[in-house]
Amino acid sequence: MSLNLVFTQLLNGTAVGMLYALMAFGLSIIKGLLNIPNFAHGAFYAVGAYVCFSAYERTGSFWLGLLCGFVASGIVGMVIERFGVGKLLASAYLFQLLLLFGVALMLEQAIILVWGTAGNSKSPPEFLQGAVDLGFTLYPRYLLFITVASAVIITAVWFLIEKTKFGAYIRAGIDKKEMTQALGINIDALFTLGFGLGAGLAGLAGGLAVPLVGVTATMGTDMLSIAFVVVVIGGLGSIYGAIPAGLIAGIVQSLVTIWAAELSTVMIYVAMLAVLTWRPQGLLGER
Amino acid sequence: MNPRASRRDLLLRAALLAAIAAVSPLLMPAKIAAEILICAIFACATNLLIGYGGLFTFGQGAFYGLGGYAAGFLMARFGLPWPVPLLAGLLMGAVSSAIIGAFCIRRTGIYFIMMTFAFNQMIYYLAYTFRNITGGEDGLAGIKRPPFGLPGMTSLNLDNPTYFYIFVAAIFVVSVLALIRIVESPFGRVLVATRENPRRVASLGFSVSLVQLVAFMISGAFTGLAGALYAMLYWIMPIDAVHWLNSGYIVFTVLIGGTSSMFGPIIGIFIWLQGFFSTLWARWPLLFGAFVVIVVLFLQGGVIELFRRLSALWGRRERAEAS
Repeated sequence: MSLNLVFTQLLNGTAVGMLYALMAFGLSIIKGLLNIPNFAHGAFYAVGAYVCFSAYERTGSFWLGLLCGFVASGIVGMVIERFGVGKLLASAYLFQLLLLFGVALMLEQAIILVWGTAGNSKSPPEFLQGAVDLGFTLYPRYLLFITVASAVIITAVWFLIEKTKFGAYIRAGIDKKEMTQALGINIDALFTLGFGLGAGLAGLAGGLAVPLVGVTATMGTDMLSIAFVVVVIGGLGSIYGAIPAGLIAGIVQSLVTIWAAELSTVMIYVAMLAVLTWRPQGLLGER
Repeated sequence: MNPRASRRDLLLRAALLAAIAAVSPLLMPAKIAAEILICAIFACATNLLIGYGGLFTFGQGAFYGLGGYAAGFLMARFGLPWPVPLLAGLLMGAVSSAIIGAFCIRRTGIYFIMMTFAFNQMIYYLAYTFRNITGGEDGLAGIKRPPFGLPGMTSLNLDNPTYFYIFVAAIFVVSVLALIRIVESPFGRVLVATRENPRRVASLGFSVSLVQLVAFMISGAFTGLAGALYAMLYWIMPIDAVHWLNSGYIVFTVLIGGTSSMFGPIIGIFIWLQGFFSTLWARWPLLFGAFVVIVVLFLQGGVIELFRRLSALWGRRERAEAS
């Protein structure tokens, strides 16, 4: 086994890990704001992917496809929050969770009704095809794009949350809901927008994944489990825990592929076990 | 409660469970009735955690699947007497839920839910990966139902649908009765107390995490047993049994029936005859999802709540007529 291969897989893992991080970041925002585990997150990812795929195919513009994926998932998320989750915030966890479970089922089946059971694939736009010569290896340009794009998006959301007024409201909503409301901030609208943002990020991750893995009917469920594992690894104390955790998951998965490709998905869970044994509260979780 | 009243109570429940098992095959094909009783064991075991322990698990499918795989593997490869695969399913459920439970109960609330789900998916991908044991995507095929026999009795071929149904029904009655006894035992009271006020329970000298872990194991054991029966039912253990949809499905049936008694989940299973609907339309999860959403939004108390509302409505009308 050459060192080159390890470095290459490390880079591949970073790209995949950034995608996981983006996905789980949205899940973390929703969890932080509304205190619910979003079981529909995988469905938002799939909706984003399919909408991006269709828009890209019709118009030929990948950028427009990504935008459509983001907007579509965001709108679906806001509708679900407005008319479903938002009405259940006073109920027990289990009801919110079941609602999202039901919504996930419906969305998954609706995707099959619209796009059929057969998967599909689409190559990246021309300027992202081919590979970059890094000296020791040829690195696919599209993987580089995923890494950079995810980093840019995560940074933009970080900026939105940490440096803008809207972000200050969101942070206030996460920390002290009642107090935020008492200060005259419309917390219902904030929750709807926050949920939409989280869902939109999942849709964006779905769009970015299209040229990499194509679209399949089960893509949502597969990604949902990974996003949950990433959030569990990251811990629930901070919405940013998802980012290092996503990278860990992606890199572990890619490195294991060198030796035992069929174990790569299982290894993410082994990583989760290792982290939980060492830190039961997750990487950035609070005690 | 005095012992005689409690024994009468238990007999009454046994009779009720036996009546449920006896009437079901008259209303539907025996195979579906058997599937319903198997799911009912699964649902009651899950309710031990959700209703009594207040532990909102979303990963019971893992133990159902593992129990089914353990039993199914033995039945497909070796011709062992009938108690062996059932015990294997039970033990597999107990051991795996002890290990997974030990990780999960250290956290509460959402983190707990997410961890149970994550472990469920871990088992799913393990089952998917190790196809030489589980059959992977195609399911574990070639399962043979062992003949049923007791000392001093000619053995019965369980491939006969009637015998198999009676076999399942007997295990259903015994299992649910055992679960009822467990929740009414001192242990069950302590478990309910850990749900209501864990600090108080700790200050009384009980270990909350130990009580929860034991509940997890008991629930896992019965879930594994149900899984073992499921492996016998269609002579195949499908990978769908370990899928998170199965975990969500069972949580939902427990909730629509009502969590306050072990009979609630049984009602829930009868309301949503999964085996029946899934044969009608390949896209049936769409309807199931819509049903879940409607129930959760408008009928949170489950069917028991529906009864209560109807009787309240009835009472109002009677009062209006009287006045």
